[in-house]
This record gives sequence, structure tokens and C-alpha cells, in this order.
Amino acid sequence: MEFNRRQGLAAAGGLAMGATLPAGEASAQTRAETLRYVTGNTVNSLDPSVPGSTRESFGLSMNVYDRLAAFGRKRLGDNWVFDHNDIRGELAERIDRSPDGRTFTFHIRQGATWHDGTPVTAEDVKWSLDRAVSARSLAPPQMSTGSITSPDQFRIAGPRVVEMMVERPDRLALSNMCVPYAIMINSTLAKRHATTDDPWALNWLKDNSAAGGAYIVEQHRPGTQTILRRNDNWRGGEQPGFRRVIVQTVPEVATRANLVERGDADLSIDLQPSDVAALAQRGRVKVVSVPQTNGFTHISMNNTMAPFDDVKVRQAIAAALPYQDMFQAALFSRGRALFGADWTTTPPNSDFPQPMPLHSNLERARELLRESGHPNGFSTTFTIGTGVSAWAEPMAALIKESLARININVDIRKLPDAQFNTGQAERTLPFYTEGGTAWLPAPDYFFRLYFTRPQRWNFASFNNEEINALTREAQFETDAAKYDAACKRMIEILAAEVPLILAWQPLHEAVMARNIEGYTYWFYRQADFRDLKRV
Amino acid sequence: MSDAAQPAPRGGKWGAVGRRVGMRLLSAVPALFGVLVFTFLLMRVLPGDPAVFFAAGANTGQAEIDMVREQMGLDRPMHEQLLRYLWDITRGNLGNSMTTGQPVRTDLVERLPASLELTFSALLLALSLALPLGIVAALRPGTLVDHVVRFLCTLGVCVPTFVSGLLLIYVFYYLLAWAPDPTGRLDIFAATPPEITGFLLIDFALVRDWEGWRAAAGQLILPASTMALFVLAPLARMTRASMLAVLGSDFVRTAKSLGLSHWRIIVVYALRNALLPVLTISGIVFSTMLGANVLVEKVFSWPGVASYALDALLASDYAPVQGFVLLMATIFVMVNLLIDILYGVADPRASVA
Repeated sequence: MEFNRRQGLAAAGGLAMGATLPAGEASAQTRAETLRYVTGNTVNSLDPSVPGSTRESFGLSMNVYDRLAAFGRKRLGDNWVFDHNDIRGELAERIDRSPDGRTFTFHIRQGATWHDGTPVTAEDVKWSLDRAVSARSLAPPQMSTGSITSPDQFRIAGPRVVEMMVERPDRLALSNMCVPYAIMINSTLAKRHATTDDPWALNWLKDNSAAGGAYIVEQHRPGTQTILRRNDNWRGGEQPGFRRVIVQTVPEVATRANLVERGDADLSIDLQPSDVAALAQRGRVKVVSVPQTNGFTHISMNNTMAPFDDVKVRQAIAAALPYQDMFQAALFSRGRALFGADWTTTPPNSDFPQPMPLHSNLERARELLRESGHPNGFSTTFTIGTGVSAWAEPMAALIKESLARININVDIRKLPDAQFNTGQAERTLPFYTEGGTAWLPAPDYFFRLYFTRPQRWNFASFNNEEINALTREAQFETDAAKYDAACKRMIEILAAEVPLILAWQPLHEAVMARNIEGYTYWFYRQADFRDLKRV
Repeated sequence: MSDAAQPAPRGGKWGAVGRRVGMRLLSAVPALFGVLVFTFLLMRVLPGDPAVFFAAGANTGQAEIDMVREQMGLDRPMHEQLLRYLWDITRGNLGNSMTTGQPVRTDLVERLPASLELTFSALLLALSLALPLGIVAALRPGTLVDHVVRFLCTLGVCVPTFVSGLLLIYVFYYLLAWAPDPTGRLDIFAATPPEITGFLLIDFALVRDWEGWRAAAGQLILPASTMALFVLAPLARMTRASMLAVLGSDFVRTAKSLGLSHWRIIVVYALRNALLPVLTISGIVFSTMLGANVLVEKVFSWPGVASYALDALLASDYAPVQGFVLLMATIFVMVNLLIDILYGVADPRASVA
């Protein structure tokens, strides 16, 4: 029999699944059951909590590792998006919450096993949770946003039962069990590779997995490709449609678009907005476009730096920006505008981000600038990172042009990403643009993360006593009406003070073969292969 | 016993060459050391804090940034960092890459063959085109042939590699579907050969997997052509210039007047003498290509060292950039040495000095 190379892999796959089909048929079937996902990034760690892990690593870990709980998904128009208000068990088959909201009891799924076939025990779960709050990784700061800070908060309460206790009924305690960092690890396997310097096996888990999730890592070559095989013993959800997933790094964005359009690759999510528009028009692929419901693009002003410490100056700039033109030039209007709302003082609901009452009005801008004591304008620098220059450059040009009309002279400065991030963290950038995404899109979490405390994600270095107090209380507010009122108040303050300008929510756009269904937008902005199937 | 005295001078001659090669390598050590220290300092002087970049998770604060800084050893004073780095290098440890999460040495060892294979193929392809073109142009200077060659060279050098690369992909992959998808060294669904040398063409040939060899060669054609086009100009122009000079020289006139065949004059006498400058420029072209093929590597998803270093540089990831520069400097030294040895082969009057 002629044995060609493609069939070689197909036959190997066939043997693995115990099929006895003729080679040709098996090959066709295996390609149909394989998802080839091409991305510009790399999976640089199999453990998402290792510092430096990429977004691809987060996405991959969702498929390889189970968490105790998971967010559900809901329909938004024709598309699927995640639903952070619907939390279901993943490794836990049942989650009980005590009436005072301070104790969560996780009942581990009956018959749950790790990839090596050993059963999942309460000790494994306890070890994994301890690791998430103790290891020198990115997990502890995330867990602390749900008041989860110490191993003492986790207790083995029986065979297959683990309890988690929080001091106050934190609204986000359970949500934090769903984030990429909250992986459940086969502790027997991981401990074998732990050392005295590295008791939580961070180094080993970076390149190896000790998991029990829907997919098993078959091959991992950082920077090139990662190949996954379906775990047919997985019971954490519906069985995924693809038996095999290839995650391949293809740095050139035009090539990724070509690959999907030619049918050689099945899925790509990080294409240029202009390419996506062209691909959608030619119609050979399916384009799923969902507004990033938990994200936003902002134009930030450093509130601790003159002249932006003056609210009138910030309001003047907010009134001078050409929102619609920027939206069109930067994103071809592929997104959800967060400007142009018609409310004035009180927002219609407590959702956040929501459109803010921002309108272009040069007359008003000039007047505000006069009131602020800068009738002749001033000079400033607008900084953009190279990583986002595709959309930020046209935006910057329009900002320069329209601020020149109110005598503000803007120099555009473009910095490599590492340099840009450093400037941002050290808060030396006066005026810049970037994007942000909150994993947990609760309004109070948004405000706590992006508008309080002197930390990197407080883009505008905003410090407002009322918002500080409101976020501290809202985190533990159990009364829905009071929580709503607090969130609305925070949005009101934001509209009045304009510490930064919310521009829009970009679309999350996934381009895929036309026969693929089930694509869901997740809070970590990556494909979850478990949702997908070929029809 | 007396017979043994006869081969001795010969062995002595090769011994002398060996000694001189050794001296050359030894004299390269200070240069390499200088490069090492310079890159080390340069990376740290550049703005951009890797710790901030890599501690980029939501909710990470100063504590996490400090943690990453400590993991990368950046919390120590500069001179201590340098000494540690030098000590690590003497033990063959180039540090760890934050970008790929792997030791730099592992990454470079895995990626260098990919870059070398691509560069060698491109250089061979370029030479096989440039030499005939240069010779033809030199034989008929000022004619249409000469102008066509000049036009081709100008075109090759004018079009940036990422443009010609994307254009080749568009035509041969997207429109005509003659080329395999431009995603790396081998079709993703194909089986890889056993890792022997890391050069896919050699490894496939060693295990006599000719179908695999063809697949690997197929992946190689477009990127190699892209790079070859770009370096066609210096090679062809140099061949032409040096051929012109040699063809006008006395010994060629003598050979002609002695009635030697046209072919013999050009290939044996003229070309061999004209090759010296071409060799020199080939060495330079090779070293440049290896470091500068980053755009080609990016466009064709080629898992080589140049794109690896670029990714690291953009992330201010010190160790991979330092490792890359050291590697390039070493290769540069080796290539120059090799070229000097080849000089002796092309022209017995030259020696490895």
C-alpha cells in the first residue's frame, strides 16, 4: 500500500482511536475531526499563572485544565457570549453556598479522573487552591480580588468535598474560581516534580501538564505549535466536537487570513479589521463578530499631571475629540461605540462599560479651555504602543488634528510595547491610548481595577474619594438594589470627572471555516475549542 | 625511519595552517567578549522594563513586578549581574527566555538549523543565478543582456523582502495553489524526520524519506527565493565588475593570443581569478542574511533565530537577545575564517594570515 505522509498521521490518529476504517476514509475523517487554529501569538506556558504567560496560554489552559466552576454562555444576537452571572460546576458537580454567603462547598464530580487515569481527590483540590493563593505566580493577586488570600480558607470537608470560606460575602469569590488561573492540578504528579526552591512545581508545570480537562497535550513546542488530543473520559461538560486540535503560530497576519480563506486552517481570531471586512465580503469564510462586552478602548489623561489635573481641561478634551471619525478610521466602526449617549447626569442602568454622554462640540471645548485658564492652549504628547499601532495611529492623527483647532499642540510618540508598558506603570505618560479587558465584568470590579489605587491599571491615575469608598462597599453588597445604586453613582462620577475617555468596545472577530459552529466569545478573549464542532 | 622524514614538511605545512587558524580563533575571543559586554550593557540601557512587561496580568501590582525582577536577576547591582552572566556563559548557560519560557540555549539550538538551512539554500540559489548572470553581463557589457541583468538586480534589491515574500505567497499559494501553505519548515500534518542534524533536507535524505524531502524542499522554495532575490544584486554586480577587470588583464590577452578555447579562458583562467572578491562578498552576504532574514522568517512563519530575537527584543527580554548577538558574532568569526581559508583554495598566493 502506498503510504503517504498525510495518511501517516491520519493512520496514527486512526490507531489511537481504535478505528478500523480504510486509510483513505480515516484520513478524511481525521482532517474533519481536527481543528487547525492559527494565531500570531505563542503558547509559552502550559500553566497560565506563570508570570509572562501569553493570552494564548490562558486559552489553552481552559481546554487542558478543569476549574471547580465555569461561566455559562448565552445568546447575543446570532452569537454566543459568556455569561458571568451564570456559574455552573465544572470539576465540581454541585456547589452549595451558605445562607450568609461566606462558605462555598464544592462536591467533586463522581468518577472524575486526571489524564493519567487516577481519581480526583479532595486533597488534589485543596493543594491546587493552596497553590493559587501561595505560589509566586500571577494567581494570588487575582484571587485576592475575591477575598481569597490564604490556604486557611480552604478545608477538606469529606471525601470529594472541599469548603472555601471568605470573611465577608464577596460578590466575586465564586467568579474567581472560574478564571484561567484557578486550575485544578493532579497534585500527586505535580508534587513529584516540586523542589525545595519551587514547592508548587511552577517550573515543571510550565512545560508539562498535570491536568484532567477536556484535552490532553500531545505535543508542546513553545513558539511553534501545540497539539491537543481529546480526553474521551472528560465529564466536565458536553463532549467536544474535535478529536484533535493544532494550535500553530503563524506570525504574519496576512498569511493567517489566507490560510483560513483557502481552507487550510480552520480558525483565527487576531486578524486586522480591514482584512476581516474583506474576508466577510468575499464570503468564503464565516466571520463571527461580537463586541468585547468586558473590554474597552480608552484615551487616558494623567490626572496627577498638569494640565490634566484640571477637570475643565479634561472636559475640554472630551468635547473636542472627533468620536465618529476616530471610530471609523481606527476600526472601520467595527465595534460598539461608548460615546454619544443622550443621558446627561444619571445613567439609565448600572451596566458598565456603557455609552457615556460624550459629544464633539468644539465651541464648548474652547469655552472650557478658557475657563481652565488655558485660553491659548498648551502642548502635550500623545503616546501609542507599536502593538496597537494598526488602530491607534489613525486615531492619534485625528486627535492631533482636532485638538489643534482648540490650540492644543499634540506630538505623537510611538513606543515599543515594553517601553510603553513601563511608561504606563511608572505613570510618566501624560496622554495615551490603550485597551483594557476585565475578566470579571462586574461594574464594581471594573471601577476597582481601573479607577482606584495607585496601580498600573488605574490608567488615568484617578483618585476620587467617593469612588474609592463605593468600590470598597459594593464588593460585599448583597442587596441588589443598593448595589445597583452604587454602580450608577460611580458611572455618574465618571461622566462628570472624565478621568479618561471611553471610546468604544472593539469587536472580537473570529474567522473560521463555514462549517464550524458554536464559537463563543470568552472573557479571556480566546477560542474555547470545547465549544466548537464541524457540521 | 629515514622515509618518515619525507612527509614531515607537508604535515608541518598543515600544522602551520592549523596554528594560524588557532591564532585567528584566539584573537577573536577579545572581540566576542567585547560584543558580549556591549550587548549586555546596551540591553539594560534601553528603556523598557521587562519585569513590567511580563508581570502583565490583571491585578498585578508592584509586588508581582518585583517578583519577576527577582526571578530574572534584575534586582541585583549591574556589575554583579554581568559577572553572573559571564560565569553562566562559561558553563554554557545563556539564561532563560521569558517569551518562550525555555532556556535560551535550547531555543537557539532548535532554531539555528532552520535559519542556517534557509540561508544556505538562499545563498546557493542566489549564487547559482548571480554567477552566470554576472559572467554574461561582463562578456557583453553595455548590451541589452547587460541592461536586463542590471534591471533584474535593481528590482531584487529595491523590493523589500516582506513585499516580495507576500507577493510570492499571494501568487503561488493563494492564487495558483502550487506552493504548500507558508507556515514553517514542514506541512503541519506531515511527520517530522528523526532529529539528526536539525537540517530537514539532510535528515530526510539520511533516512531516505524522499517524499518528506520533497515536502521540506517545497516549503523552502518560496522563502529561499525571496531571500535570494534580495541578495542577487551584490553578488551579480560583484561578479560582473571583477570579471570585467580580469577579462581586460594581460594574462587573458595572452591566453587569447595563444589560441586557447573561449570556454577554457573564461571558466578556468578568468573566473577563478575573478572569484576572490565574490567570495568575500558572499561571506558578508551570508552573515547579513542570517541576521537580517527576520522579515522572511516572519512572513513564512519560519521558526528561525532572527524572528526569535526580534520577538525578544520587542519584549525587552534580555537573555535571548544577548544569546542571539553572541551566536551571530561567533558565526561571523567562523564565516570570515572559512572565507579566508577558501581564498587559499581559489588563489594559492593568498594564505590564512
